[in-house]
Amino acid sequence: MTRRLAVFAALFAGALAAPAGPPTPTPPSTAVAAIGCVDCHLALADARVSPPAKLFADDIHARSGFTCASCHGGDPRTEDQELAHDPRKGFRGKPSPKDIPALCGTCHADAAAMKHFNPSERVDQLAEYRTSSHGKALLRGDESVATCASCHGAHGILPVKDVRSPVYPTRIAQTCNRCHGDATLMAAHKLPSDVYAKYSKSVHFEALMKKGDLSSPTCNSCHGNHGAAPPQVGSVSNVCGTCHTVFAEQFKASPHWEAFAEMGLPGCVTCHENHDIVHPTDAFLSAGKDGKCVTCHEAATEGARSAAAMYEDILALKKETDAAKAALRREAEAGMLVARAQFDLSRADEALTKARADVHLFQPYAVQQTVAGGLTIARTARAEAVRSGRERDFRRKGLIVSLALIGLSIAALVAKIRDLDRRKPPGP
Amino acid sequence: MSSGGPEGRAAAARLSPAAWLRDRIGWDGIAHLAAKKEVPIHRYTIFYYLGGMALFLFLVQVATGILLLLYYRPSATEAFESVQYIMAEVPFGWLIRSIHSWGANLFVGVVVLHMASVFFLKAYRAPREMTWISGALLLFIALGFGFSGYLLPWNTLAFFATKVGTDVPAQLPGIGPLLSRILRGGSDVTGATLSRFYGIHVAILPAITTLLLGVHLVLVQQKGMSVPPSLERKKPRAMKFVPDFLLRDMVGWMIAVGLLAGLAAFLPWELGQKAEPFSSAPAGIRPEWYFLSMFQFLKYLPAEIAGIPGELLGVLFFGALAAVLVLVPLLDRKASLGRPSPWWNRLALVAIAGALVLTVLALLPPPGQVKP
Amino acid sequence: MDVADEEQSRRRWLTYLLGTSLGASFVSFLYPVLRFIVPPVTSEPSLSDIELDVKASDILPNSGRIVPFSGKPVILFRTAAGELKALTATCTHLACTVQYRGDRSDVWCACHNGVYDTNGTNISGPPPKPLTKLDVAVRGDRVVIRRA
Repeated sequence: MTRRLAVFAALFAGALAAPAGPPTPTPPSTAVAAIGCVDCHLALADARVSPPAKLFADDIHARSGFTCASCHGGDPRTEDQELAHDPRKGFRGKPSPKDIPALCGTCHADAAAMKHFNPSERVDQLAEYRTSSHGKALLRGDESVATCASCHGAHGILPVKDVRSPVYPTRIAQTCNRCHGDATLMAAHKLPSDVYAKYSKSVHFEALMKKGDLSSPTCNSCHGNHGAAPPQVGSVSNVCGTCHTVFAEQFKASPHWEAFAEMGLPGCVTCHENHDIVHPTDAFLSAGKDGKCVTCHEAATEGARSAAAMYEDILALKKETDAAKAALRREAEAGMLVARAQFDLSRADEALTKARADVHLFQPYAVQQTVAGGLTIARTARAEAVRSGRERDFRRKGLIVSLALIGLSIAALVAKIRDLDRRKPPGP
Repeated sequence: MSSGGPEGRAAAARLSPAAWLRDRIGWDGIAHLAAKKEVPIHRYTIFYYLGGMALFLFLVQVATGILLLLYYRPSATEAFESVQYIMAEVPFGWLIRSIHSWGANLFVGVVVLHMASVFFLKAYRAPREMTWISGALLLFIALGFGFSGYLLPWNTLAFFATKVGTDVPAQLPGIGPLLSRILRGGSDVTGATLSRFYGIHVAILPAITTLLLGVHLVLVQQKGMSVPPSLERKKPRAMKFVPDFLLRDMVGWMIAVGLLAGLAAFLPWELGQKAEPFSSAPAGIRPEWYFLSMFQFLKYLPAEIAGIPGELLGVLFFGALAAVLVLVPLLDRKASLGRPSPWWNRLALVAIAGALVLTVLALLPPPGQVKP
Repeated sequence: MDVADEEQSRRRWLTYLLGTSLGASFVSFLYPVLRFIVPPVTSEPSLSDIELDVKASDILPNSGRIVPFSGKPVILFRTAAGELKALTATCTHLACTVQYRGDRSDVWCACHNGVYDTNGTNISGPPPKPLTKLDVAVRGDRVVIRRA
């Protein structure tokens, strides 16, 4: 009891007595066994002081030789608690959220310091953080926002490339969701709390989590890592365009570019949503309930007519390609070999993919051109199927000739048999 | 008979080339035997055609098989492509290949019918026991042809059917695994299996068939056509083999050729997908129809009966059946004495009915699945 | 006598018919067999290597073209340095067919701007996996492609 009180008192004292600014962490010049902190803290049953000691064993800083004292100050070499927690030795206890960025920044924003451990590690995270929504709010005194420790952890910090790290690509969204999914917290900041739910319906989530494509975007890909802030309305297409280059270029060349800018519409997000980005379908162009164009372009306007024209063109190509595929498959199943035609037909699928991309030029003519190319290919393939069908018919015709001759032979045989029978003397 | 002396040579100088040839190969002797051959006429005469039909279909297989040999490549990397090449690029390759594949099935079917008719007409009784025994062995060889030939296109279906099929002999205690290894050319079905099956299909089995078939046919000519016991006493009329029976035979053969050509044109034999040994077996793998009854039977056996693996018992059972089949003439004493043997007939009917039911069951989709 | 003559001629006629029809049938069987035996013009498509209908000299440095190989597209190109290379041409992203870009000496997929280097490694854009390399050899003046 006394001991606990003493710890508490020390912490309290440390918090009060700590200097206003962050302390200078002790660089690990010698691999002094700093087991003093860990030994005591592990033995204590208090849930506030023993878990950090346990976690620190896995910490990447521990592997590089850092100790508890490097961030918390104090004297790790003594077993005496008061000496260990001595403010004069720089002990500052648990740093408050507003102090954390600067604390981490003492090393991570210092190129010379980082060079000792990982020369290629970036050192601009603190600067970025200060531009972020989190950083700005923190400066204003809001301590409920994320700091370094919120995402990276405080004691069992793992490298980003470690699968167990909370900021490994497949885990970032859940990490962000710890706060951004908290309705009360988000309400206080006037932010929605269903973002993760929406994101988990998206193609990016599926690619990342289910197909294991680590290049698929998660929260930080569009919002930034340390400088986390939503992209401005005008920069949405640039952000999406970092991966979807073709569509971004097309969009910039399209009439929607200026129109959207004037109307303050958020580029790609207008039609594709920002978090629940689902797989687009051809129906986006239609006038039905999935139609995106008709949400702005009223019926009988030029815009609506363009959308309808593109929709019809793409549907026509899909129909023709599917028909050609089915015809060739029938021929293949009938034993004809149409591998070359099927090979050539795959170009029609490419044309369909390109046509769907060309939609983003929002000029029906462009789509029409691509579709026309695809239609030619599909029609050629269909013609091949027809030719194969004719070859099959030729075989059947050839067969009929053979069958006719066989029939004739059988008739001649039967006639001969009958004739021979007639000429035989009557049997016994 | 021409002699070798001066008169003989003088006589020979006056012979036409055809006559010279006839003399040298002893054609007259053969023609004499052929002219003597007669076929009894009675209500079961139609079954006499089955033997000749089986022979004809065998010759069709040999002819189409030899033609396929000109293009087929027996290696795991090239077999499938070579069959594809035959089907697509070689003129009438589709015809030759489909005739060979359909012909195999027709051949096995006719052989089975031939055997069944011989059985029920009791043609195996003395003195024709060896004809039956050689015939039963020929049946097994025909099945061997079917099994080895099935693998040769190296498609998925064949690959996995062979895997399953060569697993069966492995059940036998002691020699089982060794037997399976010998069949497969290794511990698994690989390109080595393909080479081996190819050798079996085009060399080993044809060589054995030549001998056995030769024996079988010579015996048939020696002993003449058998008349069923019930009709023996009536001493039925006979027709001459040449030309009467032979012309009728040819009608059947022409019909068979027409049928094969029609099947080739309207129901071409599929090629399937190339075998991928490391992929998993697709659903619905099964052997050709003539193995289906055994395949289905093995499925119904429980894993163990009195401590013995069920499959092993199944295999032993088939072995016993095969032995009985071969030895029917020696086991059915009554038939040899010219007396009816109804229990043998009933046994055969039960076996046939059972095989038919099992085959139908094997063809049905598994319960819970919609028929495709 | 007349009846017998008629019989004779009828018999002859029947035999003639039989012989002709059997002969004609036999010819109709023989025709496909003979045509089968004569090998076709196209060379046997074996999987070990496929000789293309392309002359090595036709492929200029820093240019490429798509050729079929076992039913799949392959990009055959000659680098600026003159080396002949071949890669599978099905983009690993959404299966569009790639092309060789002479101005950048790389392999590019026009559908979504995927980029591969001349070894097939995916270096930019959506493709998740590289393209497979194939062996290229020159036999006489024809190009032969083989699985590596």
